[in-house]
Amino acid sequence: MRRLAQRFALATGLLCFAAACATVQEGPHQSPFENLLAPNREKAASLAAQGNLRGAGDAWKVALTIDPKDSIALEESGKIEERIKQAVADRLARGEDALKRNLYIEARNHFLAVLALEPSNREAFVALQTRVREVRQINHTVRAGESLASIAQLYYGDRSRSEVIWETNQLPPNPKLTPGSVLKIPEIPGLPFGRPLAPPVLTKPEVTEVGPSANPALVEAKEASDRGDYFLALATLDRFIGQNPRSGEALDLKRTILLQQGKTLLEQNKLGDSFTALTQLAKLSPKDASVSSLLTNVRSRLVQQHYNQGISLYREERLPEAVAEWRSVLQYDPGHEGAKRNIEQAERLLKGLQVRQQKQGR
Amino acid sequence: MDNDKTSLVAYLAITLLTIFLAGCGATDPKPSAADRASGEVFESQDYFVVIARSGDTVESLAARFLADKNLDWMIEDYNGSASITAGQQVVIPKRPWNLSGVTASGYQLVPILVYHNLASQPKGRMILGAKAFEEQMRYLKTQGYRVVNIREFVDFVSQKRQLPRKSVLLTFDDGYRSFLQYAYPLLKELNFTATLFVYTDYLNAGSSAFSWADLKKLADEGFDVQAHSKSHGDMVRAAGEPANEYDRRLETELVQPRALFQKNLGFEPNIMAYPYGRQDDAVVRRTKERGYVAAFTVRRQGSPSFVDMHRINRSQIYPEMSLDDFIKNLNLFSQEQIK
Repeated sequence: MRRLAQRFALATGLLCFAAACATVQEGPHQSPFENLLAPNREKAASLAAQGNLRGAGDAWKVALTIDPKDSIALEESGKIEERIKQAVADRLARGEDALKRNLYIEARNHFLAVLALEPSNREAFVALQTRVREVRQINHTVRAGESLASIAQLYYGDRSRSEVIWETNQLPPNPKLTPGSVLKIPEIPGLPFGRPLAPPVLTKPEVTEVGPSANPALVEAKEASDRGDYFLALATLDRFIGQNPRSGEALDLKRTILLQQGKTLLEQNKLGDSFTALTQLAKLSPKDASVSSLLTNVRSRLVQQHYNQGISLYREERLPEAVAEWRSVLQYDPGHEGAKRNIEQAERLLKGLQVRQQKQGR
Repeated sequence: MDNDKTSLVAYLAITLLTIFLAGCGATDPKPSAADRASGEVFESQDYFVVIARSGDTVESLAARFLADKNLDWMIEDYNGSASITAGQQVVIPKRPWNLSGVTASGYQLVPILVYHNLASQPKGRMILGAKAFEEQMRYLKTQGYRVVNIREFVDFVSQKRQLPRKSVLLTFDDGYRSFLQYAYPLLKELNFTATLFVYTDYLNAGSSAFSWADLKKLADEGFDVQAHSKSHGDMVRAAGEPANEYDRRLETELVQPRALFQKNLGFEPNIMAYPYGRQDDAVVRRTKERGYVAAFTVRRQGSPSFVDMHRINRSQIYPEMSLDDFIKNLNLFSQEQIK
């Protein structure tokens, strides 16, 4: 009996133990990689708490890479994926709705949220790329002394961003800002946006080179002009204008170069060449009073120069040459009475001389 | 005898119990971090997770697990660091994990730099000195920027390719031959590439311009050559320009380069840099219609993946810029709480 009792007790004990072990194996999986999993679980929980569902989902996937049977990771990963799926559907619908109401900022936020949750989502990507217009901008009222560069410094902390303001407001190259006018200041991704970085500091008006990059032909023309090689500069420009007859930039540069050429030649007392350059300029700028005035001045000096030269030659009895000078006067001033009279007188004398020479020849 | 039998049974029970306990214990080891063998590897559909060994680097891990050491950026970007220490848990993504570059805290930007002419000394606004150019390129190299090519970038803005976090694209406009003297050797040394946007009227036009043969050689070496119009004329319709005249002009600017590229380089360009960066809706529409899959402006800011593919931003680099000014054009991320 005692032996029987002992055997019963042993068998019962073994059965109980086996049952206990079996219970452990059927319960939650205890991962053999707890220490590797722990940081990923912590990361996932932290990211989920911050609302970063995609980051949390990825952290759970890493955990499942370490132990595909980790019950916590399996459960949480499933929950996160479901939340992501629902959020994506919700934000897409809200984005579309915002677009229908032309609420672009709101639409942009929804579609960006979709991509943050599901970076390969095509619908949100295409909507952002093709349907959401850039709208985040603020208005700036220009104050006296401000330039595009100083405004760019104010809002972006970078003077060279003036180009963005220039482009957004469709301004001409090197624009002159009028105090009181309003400029749109657009958001530049990656830079702070929304309010000036520092109180406006007014400085003297400054010259800022703002505008599109120069065409090589125009650069070449400008450089030739800077060297004083106006012939090359204008030849280069004319070739360019031949291909781009409506290039305002090229025409402006041609005006500048012609003016420089005209003035330089005037200083060198090359009045005829100066007059030619300024005449071309006057054709390009017919309403420019300063050009007209300069041209009149050069013309007067030319007339005087040729007239006086004619007188000198006349006195030296070099009549044909004197007549040629006075005819030059008439080219610049067709109504010049003095030149006309002198030509008549000189031609009479020449005629008389010819008659006398013919008589002597006989 | 009975006592002996009882002892035997008890002994057997204890032995069995011990074996059973040992067996149960083997399924639940709970090793400490120090117990894990360096070099241990876990793999799933999405990742490798590796316990780094002494001497492992992002390059060596990329070579070992991704079969390409140049994919080291994937490990660097995913783990947030290029340095690896023995025993560290390193996650190696097996494929791109963020095609659009958008995260909960903002989105990736790719800076695209525009250069024009280079010379030994800077001159005017469009000729950058060789010394400044070298300083800028070496800065990119030492700071770990990855110079991507334009095809990779177009894939990025098509949501087909993830780019490294520190990607940058280099472009040279117009077709200045000085590229060969001042840029080419340095770019080769640094293993950088670039895209040359050329306008075809300028090619073969004297010693300062590329010849088609120059471009063919560069294209064969992997530099990208793309279109910058025919004449570099402003593509936007001028005030008062008759519609039919403008139509013909725009068509010529877009179409003629394609034929010349085909004839001289053996391929047609499919990417355009607008002269002066100027465009409007009409220009963009016609550019698309003529088969250009992407087009670039000169708006000074980085480009996210979802940028308008026919209004991609670029930043012009001018000679008057200091290195600090240059660095301001390298924004890689637009911080924005996206919720």
